[in-house]
Amino acid sequence: MIRAEGLTKVFRRPRTFPGPLGALRTLVTRQYVEKTAVDGVSFTIDEGEVIGYLGLNGAGKSTTIKMLTGILTPTSGTVRVGGLVPWRDRSANARNVGVVFGQRSQLWWDLPLIESLRLVGSLYDVPAARFETSLKKLRDLLGLDDFLDTPVRQLSLGQRMRGDLAAAVLYEPPLLYLDEPTVGLDVLAKDAVREFIVEVNRTGRTTVILTTHDLADVEALCKRIILIDRGKVLFDGAIDALVDQPRRLVVLLEPEPEEVRGVRRDAEGRYVFDIRGDLPGMIAAISAEHTIRDLSIEEPDLESVIKGIYSR
Amino acid sequence: MAELARSLRLYVLLQRASARSAMQYRLNSVIGVLSGAVWQGAGFAFIWVVMHTFPSLAGWGLAEIAFLYGLRLTAHALAMIPMMSVHDIQWVVRNGEFDRFLLRPLNPLVQLMGNRVGLGQVGDLLVGVTLLAVAGGNVPVDWDAWLVAYCVVAVAGGALIEAAFFLGLSSLSLRMVDTTALRVFVDDVFSRFGSYPMKVFGGVTEWLLTFVLPVAFVAYVPSSVVLGKLDASWALAAPLLGVVLIAVAYLVWRRQLDHYQSAGH
Amino acid sequence: MMRIGFRLALAYRSNIVMTCVTLVAQVFLLRMIWTSVYGARPAAAGLTLDALLAYLTLANLQSFATHTVVSRTIHERIRSGTVFFDLARPPGYLRQMAAFQVGNTFGGLLLLAPVVPVVLLVGSITAPVNGPGYVVTLVLGYVIAVQLALLISLIGFWTMEIGAISLLYRLVSQFFAGTMVPLAFFPGFLGVLAGALPFQYLGYVPAAIYVGHITDVAGPIMVELAWIAGLWGLLALTWSRAHRRVVIQGG
Repeated sequence: MIRAEGLTKVFRRPRTFPGPLGALRTLVTRQYVEKTAVDGVSFTIDEGEVIGYLGLNGAGKSTTIKMLTGILTPTSGTVRVGGLVPWRDRSANARNVGVVFGQRSQLWWDLPLIESLRLVGSLYDVPAARFETSLKKLRDLLGLDDFLDTPVRQLSLGQRMRGDLAAAVLYEPPLLYLDEPTVGLDVLAKDAVREFIVEVNRTGRTTVILTTHDLADVEALCKRIILIDRGKVLFDGAIDALVDQPRRLVVLLEPEPEEVRGVRRDAEGRYVFDIRGDLPGMIAAISAEHTIRDLSIEEPDLESVIKGIYSR
Repeated sequence: MAELARSLRLYVLLQRASARSAMQYRLNSVIGVLSGAVWQGAGFAFIWVVMHTFPSLAGWGLAEIAFLYGLRLTAHALAMIPMMSVHDIQWVVRNGEFDRFLLRPLNPLVQLMGNRVGLGQVGDLLVGVTLLAVAGGNVPVDWDAWLVAYCVVAVAGGALIEAAFFLGLSSLSLRMVDTTALRVFVDDVFSRFGSYPMKVFGGVTEWLLTFVLPVAFVAYVPSSVVLGKLDASWALAAPLLGVVLIAVAYLVWRRQLDHYQSAGH
Repeated sequence: MMRIGFRLALAYRSNIVMTCVTLVAQVFLLRMIWTSVYGARPAAAGLTLDALLAYLTLANLQSFATHTVVSRTIHERIRSGTVFFDLARPPGYLRQMAAFQVGNTFGGLLLLAPVVPVVLLVGSITAPVNGPGYVVTLVLGYVIAVQLALLISLIGFWTMEIGAISLLYRLVSQFFAGTMVPLAFFPGFLGVLAGALPFQYLGYVPAAIYVGHITDVAGPIMVELAWIAGLWGLLALTWSRAHRRVVIQGG
């Protein structure tokens, strides 16, 4: 579906000068400020995958997405999306992708939601009959009926996001880019968005690329993540592989046994075991010889793993 | 050709959506149209008062000046009705709205033009057409279908000239070079000097307004032809210049679009 | 408030630079048009071309220098609700707003100063026929301009929408101030109307005294003082009504 090779973007901005004649000076002086936002990024994404594209603020996530969608032309490297070069075949590529920016709506602010959807339908040349079936499906799936006739500016954030999702998949694109689709939403609205993404991916075989800062989204939706930092790919693979680390068992024993060689104790005197294999067996073995007064198990989670990667 | 027809149809659709949005603020919309009309009316009142005492301005009578004024104003209104929302480009680029235009299968310029409806320019259009009609009946010209048709072509040509300058300057904003002040200035020169016979200015100014910033071709040259003050061989100069300039402006736009850098990455 | 107005004028200097360019273009345009219509005529309506050009240059400079922004400021403060802070301050509201406008005018003048030689060069100027008379009538005219602007802005306490009204006011006042055409050229009814309105003191009367077109100075000064007194009364009355309205709305 997507194949990116050595994708690089260097931003070269003319130095701007303040003041009324600043514009003229900017034109004349031709001084530039350069910054490499994406630095040799390569990956392949197959049809039907749901990918988490993660990175800190300013890591180059948005720039990559903008190159994949054809908004930006890369400085070097190549991308093919469904066989097309996005920035060269911008119009054709646009018909194949749906994009949702969580921070920025594509809906017409002062018009009822239904009018925005109709406009989007016209812009993508969706035939009337297909529009109606598509709309009907989305009304059920996203529960749009309550606010279809409300001006967008009066919608709650959760309602607006559902409207934006509807607008992005109305013309049934095979590829969906979601840029922080759950930002600022309450728990129920977040769940609704996630369920929708799962549904679209399951029934339509839609490929989804998700950027988010909410790792719960990633855990709920993605099997694979691509981690990017300072313009470079840090990790690309299955979440399971990333989180494949021992679980940690912490026990407080009574009466306190003598120091056991090779087993770590923490500040409160509890014993700490890192276990890859049979956890219940281990607990049974300990309780056979000691009375366990307190016990806790720490599962390795994505957040701490990712924090670990960044701090490396 | 089919793509052009599709763009036009979608432009109308977008513009209608913008108009419906604007009508949510009905009072402001009415005021917008009215203030455009009053502003232009006041501009003409000056000419009317001066020509009450002095019947001739560089050899042009009141009706002739009114015709010139009307022709320029109509061309200006036609240029600015689509260009008004291009004026917002700096803002549209900065807040990321322009990214969305690039994500849709329609020429981003068409989407930008359809983004807002120029209500003040509708007021200009009303005054312009009224002046043109009233003055047209009072100037010593034998009207026939050809001449009327020529006026339509001339108005379109004038509109293209103004729009070309506006578009060319606006496209620099795609690379975050703010030309808003420069555009206001150019628009001001077109409006202020375009409604008078160029002979009034004479010398260097006349030359500048003809060959550097071709204000003269928007209305002065075509009106002179209609009113028999200039040889008919000049008739097509203005419309042709308009077509050439708008083509150049569009090339500049396309070139700047290739260097578009989107805001905030 | 005076200091705020002053600083605000400097803060929007790029705006003002554009306005200065516009001012120069305007004066140039007027010079060209009037020179053209005068042609070989030595004088019209009692004005020689030289006197007329000097008049136009002055009138446009004046119109720029005495341009009032207070209506817009008051309007914005009413809409955003910050007007309540103004009302809470000890000095009277109108006095604060007048001080704001005066400060703004000084700021504008400071920025205008470098442009004045250019404008005088593009237009033209003669030695004053009656310098003191010009200054006195202009200062009194400025007081009238501020009073009128305050009066217009008070309408905002009733309508909440003032953009169109102040635009209309600006157009009408500039036209009847004779910024582009001296009142002496206004035909018939229009001339009578312009003579009855106070706008002539913002432009025509001082500039005409400067070039010697009006020789009687005492008469206009008396009328100006009468206008100031009358407008002052009207302002006080309107303000007491507007204030009551604000109090009712605010509660």
